[in-house]
Amino acid sequence: MGVGVDLTDVRQWPRMLPGLLVCILFAWLVLQYDKYVIGDLHRGYREASRVLKPIKEGKEPLSYEDYVKERQESYKKAMEKYQAGLEKKKPSKPFILKKEDYEYIVQNKAIPGKFTFGERMNQFQITYVAVLLLGGMLIRNTIGVPGVLQPGTVAARPFIKPGIIILGAYYMWSDVLRVGLIGFVLVVIFVLGANIVISIWGKRAKADDGLMGLMGAGVGVCGVSAAVAVAPVVNAKPRDFFYAIGTILLFGTLALFTFPYIGKLLNLHQAVYGAWVGTAILNTAQLVAAATWYGHEALLTANVVNIVRIGFIPIVVLWAIYYYVVRPARQAGDVTQRINTWQVIKEKFPIFIIGFFIMVTLNELKFFSPEVRDLLGRDIVKIFMAIGFAGVGLNIAFDDLRKAGGTAFVIGFVAATVKAILALLFIMALGPEPFIIKEK
Amino acid sequence: MQEEAKAKELEERAEKTFSAERREDYAVLIVAAIVVILVMLGIIDKKVISAIYLLKY
Repeated sequence: MGVGVDLTDVRQWPRMLPGLLVCILFAWLVLQYDKYVIGDLHRGYREASRVLKPIKEGKEPLSYEDYVKERQESYKKAMEKYQAGLEKKKPSKPFILKKEDYEYIVQNKAIPGKFTFGERMNQFQITYVAVLLLGGMLIRNTIGVPGVLQPGTVAARPFIKPGIIILGAYYMWSDVLRVGLIGFVLVVIFVLGANIVISIWGKRAKADDGLMGLMGAGVGVCGVSAAVAVAPVVNAKPRDFFYAIGTILLFGTLALFTFPYIGKLLNLHQAVYGAWVGTAILNTAQLVAAATWYGHEALLTANVVNIVRIGFIPIVVLWAIYYYVVRPARQAGDVTQRINTWQVIKEKFPIFIIGFFIMVTLNELKFFSPEVRDLLGRDIVKIFMAIGFAGVGLNIAFDDLRKAGGTAFVIGFVAATVKAILALLFIMALGPEPFIIKEK
Repeated sequence: MQEEAKAKELEERAEKTFSAERREDYAVLIVAAIVVILVMLGIIDKKVISAIYLLKY
């Protein structure tokens, strides 16, 4: 994900530090907004509506002191029910309005404007994900990101990976295997299918092997990472590389900003949406962002499908070796060309997903209490994701997207779009049940 | 000739980037492990997370 910088090279750290700090600061500021507007004000809106309803029906409002007492007592009762085992779900602490807000509601018979603002922002999904991505993109393409900050903004993107690993604290193996198995079928049909179709279509259209190999890997599997893995195999030219990366980024960017709204428009269940973006969006950062944008349940499903998908990188490299190296050589009578399968798998397998599986195993062994699981899987994941999304947003440059072009762009873009539409229809037909991750 | 040299250069760059990604994966595993350990030890808890957020209702 961090193409262009090497996070593990200590000599590069001074070069990365300024941009990375800016991303952390940007993420921190936006998280303040998210906690206050999307969290507190949105809850405030719901509470204000609850308080307002009886007042509008003509009932006598409680005094502020009685209102607070009533909220606390109802929480106490709910807790007693939970402790007695009558309720499965632990009740969350009640949202209690401040005195001035309560009195405003009682006097004006209206909801304070700040709560309505929180509700609208929530309704239009202007969460921290949207603000970081749209805000980052806006900054990058208007005032620009100074050269001194650029390596650091690239280095911020891999912060999504620890988030993916830690999110494993939310899963049980039964869910991972169930969703993973269906994810496997989806990946074989749509992702490998797109890769193979692009390779064959490219050959028929007499497009360059190097370019189509990159495009197949990138559009089919894992965006930039897969394109980088395949580039040496297919002898890609620098121009091909930038065309392919441009196409991948353009599709990914359009998908990132449109899929959450398409999902809302079609009223897609979180799990269905998660499975869809996991199959259809081309790289991990954009996919995780689009899923998080839609909701936590969508992220849980998308994460499993994504892990299955990126586990396919070695297979795509094997396909590229076969299709662009071994097959033409054999056709030319050279039978000495062979594939060292184990070597390719060993070299190209994305190691970090092992961390996710370790986390799932620890959760299965009841290593995490519900509080620790929530802290890891929600709060800490959110911080890592926010830093990563700041890096993603600040790296969406329209100039890079303009590098997409030519026949390869048409083939890649059409294939990616058709893949996304077919995957959506297929997943909608299956329904949400197979994709739901039950939080335990 | 120049095209070939450029292709060779890109090939090397792609290999280098991929091996950097591999090292990055190990670094990411270490970071995640440290965070989980800190949470399990109670060094990072709800209070620490709550302190990050200054804007509160």
